[in-house]
Amino acid sequence: MKRNLFLKILFSYMVVVCLSFFVLDLLIKTEIKKVMTAKIEAELLAYAELLDLNSAQKMSEQLKQIARISGSRVTLVDEQGKVFADSEKDAASLENHFSRPEVQEARLRGKGKSIRFSQTIGVDTLYVAITMKSKPQIAGYIRLARPLHDVQNAIEQVYQSIFMAMMIAAVIAFVIALFFSYRLATPIRALERFTERLRQGDPVETIFLETSDETKKLADNINYLVDELRSQIRLANEEKSKLMTAFTSMTEGVLILDAEDKIEFVNSSLSNMLSDQYGDLNGKTLMEALRNVDLQKAFFKFKEIHAIVSEEVNLGNIEPVILNVSISSVHNYPGEEKVMLVFHDVTRLKKLEKIRVDFVANVTHEIRTPLTAIIGYLETIQAGATSSNEDVKKFIGISLKQAGRLNRLVEDLLVISKIELGEIKFHFEEVSIRDAFEGAIPLVEAKAEIKKIKIHNNIQENISCVWADKDRLTQILVNILDNAVKFTPENGNVTIETNKNDKYVILTITDTGIGVPKEEVQRLGERFYRVDRSRSRDLGGTGLGLSIVKHLMIAHGGKIEIESQLGRGTKVSLHFPLKNSLDFSS
Amino acid sequence: MEEKRHTSSHYEKELQEIKNGLIYLGALTEKAILFAMKSLSERNSDIAHKVIRADEEIDKLDTELEERCIKVLALRQPTAIDLRFITTAIKITGHLERIGDMAVNIAERAIQLNAEPQLKPYMDLPRMADIVAEMIKDSLDSFIRSDLSMAEKVRQAEQVTDDLNEQIFRELLTFMMEDSHSIHLSLMIMQVSKNLERIADHAKGIADMVTYMVTGECVRHQTCDLDEKEPA
Repeated sequence: MKRNLFLKILFSYMVVVCLSFFVLDLLIKTEIKKVMTAKIEAELLAYAELLDLNSAQKMSEQLKQIARISGSRVTLVDEQGKVFADSEKDAASLENHFSRPEVQEARLRGKGKSIRFSQTIGVDTLYVAITMKSKPQIAGYIRLARPLHDVQNAIEQVYQSIFMAMMIAAVIAFVIALFFSYRLATPIRALERFTERLRQGDPVETIFLETSDETKKLADNINYLVDELRSQIRLANEEKSKLMTAFTSMTEGVLILDAEDKIEFVNSSLSNMLSDQYGDLNGKTLMEALRNVDLQKAFFKFKEIHAIVSEEVNLGNIEPVILNVSISSVHNYPGEEKVMLVFHDVTRLKKLEKIRVDFVANVTHEIRTPLTAIIGYLETIQAGATSSNEDVKKFIGISLKQAGRLNRLVEDLLVISKIELGEIKFHFEEVSIRDAFEGAIPLVEAKAEIKKIKIHNNIQENISCVWADKDRLTQILVNILDNAVKFTPENGNVTIETNKNDKYVILTITDTGIGVPKEEVQRLGERFYRVDRSRSRDLGGTGLGLSIVKHLMIAHGGKIEIESQLGRGTKVSLHFPLKNSLDFSS
Repeated sequence: MEEKRHTSSHYEKELQEIKNGLIYLGALTEKAILFAMKSLSERNSDIAHKVIRADEEIDKLDTELEERCIKVLALRQPTAIDLRFITTAIKITGHLERIGDMAVNIAERAIQLNAEPQLKPYMDLPRMADIVAEMIKDSLDSFIRSDLSMAEKVRQAEQVTDDLNEQIFRELLTFMMEDSHSIHLSLMIMQVSKNLERIADHAKGIADMVTYMVTGECVRHQTCDLDEKEPA
């Protein structure tokens, strides 16, 4: 049977009704029996007294008469208990009655009674006996016995009516129970359905009950709790989405480890930093996912000291990706501590730092070399170790040459810093490419002729002009052509070409020189960067030429692209923006 | 193995720790090789000394991992895939420890070579070192992911290192024939090359063990038929 509230209430009602009828029945039954038996007893006693009034002879005659009127059996018993007259049976056939309880009671108190089951008739029978008092000559007892049929009948009758009443009452009780249990169970069931829907996540609003008892109060409380819960969830969601937005939009990489040290969350910045070279990180341990000794060591350290650990790690497989990681714990429920790793990309910073350090080292080196030479020769002259004027002249000549180199170096540096600071004013105009090259080529022609290098001029006539500062353009071209001639062995070729695409006018200078190793190409343009230090310095460069070109091209809104093959030659492409693609007024 | 979880979370944790330890050890040896080669190509003996010092950590971790494996074997009595995992782990630590020693050998040669003028610019050696480092990485990746195709890739790369070793040998032979003074240096370079080649062998050994762990099939020697096949 389904154990629901309705049936429980109904069942308890029924039990109460049945119990009350059972008790009622017991009480009524005993009461009726008592009252009726008392009445019959009094009646029989009266008859016995009546019979006692008669004389001994008349007594036997009246015996039958009394028995008929009273509806009972009348027996006369002598002092020894011998029956000497009976209204129904032959006195001689009856046994001695002295031991009967009613007789015994009558002997002691004058009258006696007893109710017992009569073997002769087969029903409960009431026996009443008195001593004969009126006739002293005969001592004995008069006994009357009447079966209790009437009492039995009366009780049965009462029973029937009680049963009827009970049935009616039961039906009424059932109806009432039905009504009450329904009234009680309905709101509770409504509450149950409401909470069930809540549990399943239905967007239910509130529950309203048309009652005024405790269930109403309960419903109000539930409504309040639901409201509270909902606002809490909303708050939590809001916090979560704020946090997620912060995580996804911040430039720092974030990685969260769960309580089992497995990666639970990786934000997009970190994925970008690692450029997907490790695949899917989720669900793996740090070691499985990134396999980085330094990071793991930092993590071990964190586990040991349980305080924020900050470390620098290189997570790049091929290209270096230098990240500054700080590891801290996310406080949660005890035993469920998570760990958060925040990564800060310092690759660029490190690179810049290296360039700066290199620059300082280079600049001092570049300045010191000519200075050492100058100081050396001047000291020799000062010491007077010169025997001839010739030597002095030679020494001074060398010193001057080195001083000139120093001067060029300082000037080049000045130019670069001026371009970088934006202090050089550019005067942009339509510059004829042919004019620009014709201005630049003569400056390198002499060198080219010595090395028997041919300069091929393949300028397309339809691309005639670039938008540039004329003097700067010449400076750029001289630099590039000078490099081309410088690094091309004898009998080589330098070719000038022009091209155009939808964004740029492209001037290409190709040489058949010594070329640059592939991995070094991207470092060209760094100040003082030289592929082969000893050789290019011999060729008289300051190490700043390409750097100046690079900066000038940037100032022109263009760019420089270098392709090179070791031993085959180098191709330099100067991209000048088309006039209409850039607004120079800004 | 990753998907199914053991009823005992402690057991699960122990296995995970062994796995992590192995990867860490692998990363350490990989780094040792790369640094030893870096010391050689950049002619910087400081790095070589660092490699030699770091070997202590590798040795320590090796014994520690082996102890852990034995403890799991004794206390948990693993069966099927777990048993293969543990036995494989024990063998892999041995391989990695040997690789670490070879990195030390290379570092020692590097110190000697750096003290002398350079015989010739190293061309094939760094290439070989890159391939070898990649092999270790791949063999460990195949172990982490139970990836058979990666293990196969490692086995194929091993042939390449053999060929490169051969090539370096021939090249050095010409140097030695031309100039008897270069024999000393050439032999040392030869030793570096040989060490790299043997590291590649060990990487292949790891890959073979991974194949055994995943499939239960022994691929170490073509004729090997000792292990009973068991569905993975």
